[in-house]
Amino acid sequence: MDKVMNHYLDQVDKYLKSMPTGERVDIVKEIKSEMLELEKLQGLSSEQIIERLGNPKELAKAYLGDYISKNTTFSWKKFCSIVGFYSLVGMGSLFILPIISVLSVGFIFIGIISPLSGVIKFIGFLFGFDLPFVMFQIGSFTAPPSLALLLSVLLGGLFFLAGKGLWKLTIKYIHIISQAKKKIF
Amino acid sequence: MKLEDWKSQIKKGTLEFCILLMIDEKPCYGYELMAKLDKWEILKTKESTIYPLLRRLLKEEFLTSSWQETSEGLPPRKYYSITQKGKDYLHMMLIEWDNLLSAISEIKGES
Repeated sequence: MDKVMNHYLDQVDKYLKSMPTGERVDIVKEIKSEMLELEKLQGLSSEQIIERLGNPKELAKAYLGDYISKNTTFSWKKFCSIVGFYSLVGMGSLFILPIISVLSVGFIFIGIISPLSGVIKFIGFLFGFDLPFVMFQIGSFTAPPSLALLLSVLLGGLFFLAGKGLWKLTIKYIHIISQAKKKIF
Repeated sequence: MKLEDWKSQIKKGTLEFCILLMIDEKPCYGYELMAKLDKWEILKTKESTIYPLLRRLLKEEFLTSSWQETSEGLPPRKYYSITQKGKDYLHMMLIEWDNLLSAISEIKGES
């Protein structure tokens, strides 16, 4: 048993670290037994033996693949993905979801109210009233009633579209989360 | 290569059967199984296939294993032997295998 082969076995052992120690020791011992068999009986060099066995990571993965799918009690990988999933979704639900959903409903509301106000103001203007509680004002600029109607309809339209876009985004976000959840479990 | 894919699918499906057949004959160790399978091109296997498969068969209690000392100054070998559960399983596999072979020969005969 030389350095090259020992190093190979160490590598396999390292990649198998998520397995219980007893199983890991047994696996490495079996591979070591084959290495010595190849060396002593077949007269292969360490390099030839290692080439035959292939990449240590791939070999370890072959064991792990079977281990993870067969072991239903606990898997470190699954545990990590579940923790990762809920951390991300938790954060998302804390910030992203409330913001986009509330904004979306708010924008749609504005999108409806704004042109309505414009119409009310304009109707008032037609009948000769100036309704002081309805006006179009941006900073110090106050639009006259006819312009206010146009602006409020335009602006309302924009808000409505933005709200609808955000609503779609909300639905999409929820959809993505449930898809991701299905993949993990 | 389409044919290579098909061959590897066949190997996947029959390797477990071949291994159980060989171990049923007499207890074997991993390298011995691989060396025997090497005789046939279609059944050639790598360590990364056979060892995990043997572990699975152990977990499913079709096989048991024991480390045995060797006389030739070699390290101990891990020998696998078949259990009663394994024998029962193998028996059913043999029946299904015969079913498959006769189905195929019937299909070939009719065409």
